[in-house]
Amino acid sequence: MSEKLTIAAALNKAHHQLMQAEPRITVIGEDIVGGAGLDGSELGGVFGVTAGLGERFGKSRVIDTPISETAFVGMGVGAAMTGLKPIVEVMFCDFIGVCFDQILNQAAKARFLSNDRIDMPLVIRTTMGAGDGSGAMHSQSLHGMLAAVPGLEVVCPSTPADAAGLLKSAVASPNPVIMLEHKGLYGVSGDVEAGLPPVPIGKGRRVHSGTDITVVAVAGLLKQCEKAAEQLAERGIGVDLIDPRTLHPLDTDLILASVEKTRRLLVVDEGPHYGGFADTVVSAISTSGFRHLRAAPQKVTPPHTPTPYGRLLEAAWLPNCDTVIRKIDEMMYEN
Amino acid sequence: MQPLLSLYAKSAFIRAFELHIAVAAEAGHVPGLVHLCCGAELVEVALCDLLNGPKDQVTGSHRSHGLALAMGADATAVAAEILGRKGGLSKARGGTQHLSASGNGFLASNGIVGAQVPIAAGAALSAKRADAGGISAAFFGDGAANQGAVLETMNLAVALELPLLFVLENNGLGQSTSTKYASGGADLLARADSFGLKTAVMNGHDGADCVKVSADITGYVRTSGKPAFIEAHVPRLSGHYFGEKADYLAHHEANDPLADLVEVLGEKACASVRADAEKAAHDAVSDALNMGEAPPEDLGELTT
Repeated sequence: MSEKLTIAAALNKAHHQLMQAEPRITVIGEDIVGGAGLDGSELGGVFGVTAGLGERFGKSRVIDTPISETAFVGMGVGAAMTGLKPIVEVMFCDFIGVCFDQILNQAAKARFLSNDRIDMPLVIRTTMGAGDGSGAMHSQSLHGMLAAVPGLEVVCPSTPADAAGLLKSAVASPNPVIMLEHKGLYGVSGDVEAGLPPVPIGKGRRVHSGTDITVVAVAGLLKQCEKAAEQLAERGIGVDLIDPRTLHPLDTDLILASVEKTRRLLVVDEGPHYGGFADTVVSAISTSGFRHLRAAPQKVTPPHTPTPYGRLLEAAWLPNCDTVIRKIDEMMYEN
Repeated sequence: MQPLLSLYAKSAFIRAFELHIAVAAEAGHVPGLVHLCCGAELVEVALCDLLNGPKDQVTGSHRSHGLALAMGADATAVAAEILGRKGGLSKARGGTQHLSASGNGFLASNGIVGAQVPIAAGAALSAKRADAGGISAAFFGDGAANQGAVLETMNLAVALELPLLFVLENNGLGQSTSTKYASGGADLLARADSFGLKTAVMNGHDGADCVKVSADITGYVRTSGKPAFIEAHVPRLSGHYFGEKADYLAHHEANDPLADLVEVLGEKACASVRADAEKAAHDAVSDALNMGEAPPEDLGELTT
């Protein structure tokens, strides 16, 4: 039995299932119930992901907080250390700048510093991604930066089934997991099995098969790469498109096996051009799979600047299907 | 043992423990720097005596050896952790600033000034949900009082009605900077008042006051389920870290609360208690030293 759901709806359903099954799960964030202190109706979260949770599970388990990321992310850390299973929502990943200590030094290090005597079953859900005119402080893609922190697991779903399934695995993990949800994908529909089966952390998936070039991408730009792969297939260029889904721990084996076959690697990523996730993948594959490569690995990212605001500026800044096709054509022509 | 003598015994043990750690540090047995808690013992022991892990949980700052001991953590394991020994609480992965004995109710100390305070809010949330009368306490210094994490958590704890006790140990110094210089509005208790927190003052030199205020305030948090705030006045009897070139301390007045308590109890009553504490502290630290350093193989299979 499967049904078609959007990513937002799949995540919402996963929350309902998880909270029903596990009373320790506590959802914490800003405006996730909404209307706190007023008599109005519930907002259910800015993107609708937490809709209906407050009404069904009560406000002791679905907690609207003051706008105070350090305090409530830290509260999530402490709650995870003492027996609860918090899912904390940080409305935009840009806001992680406000509470980074609690992620970088507290959540990420507690298991290690306690020699694994303390578990950190903390899930932080946040959003990422440009393309909707939100400007430089509501559009970043900080998945690579977070994945660079030892102790964190970082996932970026791009389908409804992966979003729900990764949330389930995140809740079950004894490590802190940060899930970045691309704002542009909440409305994307896809088939989801009724039980919302867990998707393992650390396992990627092949989105499109081909033998000419391996393309690695997550989240929003994965969708652009899918389009590019379909168009290139019509011209006889076979793209092996890999969605790692988890940034750390990375499914290097899957990417390496693909590169062994295609002998070319392109990473397409919305994160920074310098020191970003694209660089991590290029490094991982170059160091362990150099002998398979017939051409230098390449990356497509936005320029290394903040996200611009104006429609035309933002569109020019953000890579898309055409940018990806141009880069692949270039790589195929050269080698 | 009568309550004040018991307070003295536990405090004297913590003092002796810290002095043995100082000796070990001087001899080069500590991997880095240690921040000793000498001067804050009466406050910490009086409060922790009324907190019972794992139902209650305490978080502390970088200066938390005494808190871990006051909550009942195994003294040899605490010493071993500080000394980087294999029998340490976390087999030397954490060290002096990252102690944890959550089974005893000492959840964690912290290397980031003030960061332990929001974490205590999480422990308070867990206690509230467990509904078994547990509370949490966050100990922090006047240096942390100006951190956003602390101020945010004071607000959050009131907004969400968390059973969380804020314990500001005001020793007048953040590293080498005086509170008078660093704090806008010298009255830190007034800040807590302004958040709607119940507040109390504790005199860290007066054992009887520490015991009484501790009972009142922990009782309030436990029965009301609401947060409260203590400003405890304590001296800092040593440098920011042990071995620091601390000329500035010459301008910082600091009497010893343990000596004050001995005056109340009489030297006769205290002498044998102090000797026992000294022996126990000596044994704990020397047992830890004898363990040998944690070997690289202990890193083993690392998570994530």
